[in-house]
Amino acid sequence: MEFDKVHQRQREITRLCIQCALLLLQHGAESMLVEQLSTRLGKALGVDEVESSISANAIVLSTIYKGHCLTSTRKNVDRGINMHVVTEVQRIVILTEHRLLGIDEVEKRLNHIKPLRYPRWLMVLMVGLSCASFCKLAGGDWDAVLATLLASGVAMYARQVITSFQINPLINFFATAFVATTVAGWLVDWMDISKASIAMASSVLLLVPGFPLINSVADMFKGHINTGIARWVMASLLTLSTCIGVVVAITVWGFRSWL
Amino acid sequence: MNLILTLIENMFLAAIPAVGFALVFNVPVKALKYCALLGAIGYACRTILIYYQFPLEWSTLLTSMLTGTIGIRWSRCFLAHPKVFTVAAVIPMFPGVFAYKAMIALVEISHKGYSAELFETMITYFLRASFIVGALSIGLSLPALWLYRRKPSV
Repeated sequence: MEFDKVHQRQREITRLCIQCALLLLQHGAESMLVEQLSTRLGKALGVDEVESSISANAIVLSTIYKGHCLTSTRKNVDRGINMHVVTEVQRIVILTEHRLLGIDEVEKRLNHIKPLRYPRWLMVLMVGLSCASFCKLAGGDWDAVLATLLASGVAMYARQVITSFQINPLINFFATAFVATTVAGWLVDWMDISKASIAMASSVLLLVPGFPLINSVADMFKGHINTGIARWVMASLLTLSTCIGVVVAITVWGFRSWL
Repeated sequence: MNLILTLIENMFLAAIPAVGFALVFNVPVKALKYCALLGAIGYACRTILIYYQFPLEWSTLLTSMLTGTIGIRWSRCFLAHPKVFTVAAVIPMFPGVFAYKAMIALVEISHKGYSAELFETMITYFLRASFIVGALSIGLSLPALWLYRRKPSV
């Protein structure tokens, strides 16, 4: 009877640990953080050890308590980078470590994390302004800045619409790059801008896979070579499909002002 | 005087993309202003280093190390992973235009055939872009590795 109770408790803790790890992995945390936080959560809730194996599309996690070992596996689906979720999970772990949350509260809180989404118009506006700033920083004149602002705003809107249809990110990046280059190229031709290449380059910068690239190097640096390579390949593929989008747009519309 | 004006302009221009990309990464609302500030500080640091004739790659490495260190400091007050602030903050330093030029040169080579000039353009910009990306990501990871070897920062 006593054994059953202990076993039940260990099972719940294992479930919570792997839920925590999965949430982090799905929303773009680096592997070391995933491993550390799930271990800390398990230890705070009372098991002796938590061991995990992380790969690009699955996670295996075991808890060990008084020599009894429980293992669980979850499939990982990428849900896009969301630092809000990562921060929330981290807070839950810290609160648990300070003995402010029990098993039930941790479960309730983990289940109630709602990923933060900023309003579309705000993202379109801010990303448009960001690319316009890149253009200004790279030495473009005000005409080029204006062209970049419009092109990247339209591209960001296209990206959001395509994302809402849940289409493969590689196709999404291709289509967005195509839209950005098309709009930028038309504007550049129409407004007769001298530094055309800066405007056209800046308007696709919203597709820079900054987070995957930095995460992948951080992973490899900290010993998670496997996940690091997987992320690096994904970032490269995203860059490649952006390139193809740009090249196809330039070829289709016959833009001449390339370099 | 000229340096200070450029500096202020660049800091302002770098803060905007830091916030823009922070929105794309869904950084919590309260952390947005720190992203903007860190982006501005980072870009200012790099502008100063370049002004004093440091090579672009080394200035980027030093700047991203500074960004990473400040990020760790702030992460303790905010109870969040340093990457929440730092990645958005270094986005303005990503070598987007270099990468674009390298890619276009590559396409031109396949289109018009080999020419030494195009090949030189491609290799030069490609190497610059890759070294800067490496400097950014390694620079961000270094402070965490050497300040917090034994225990997590937050």
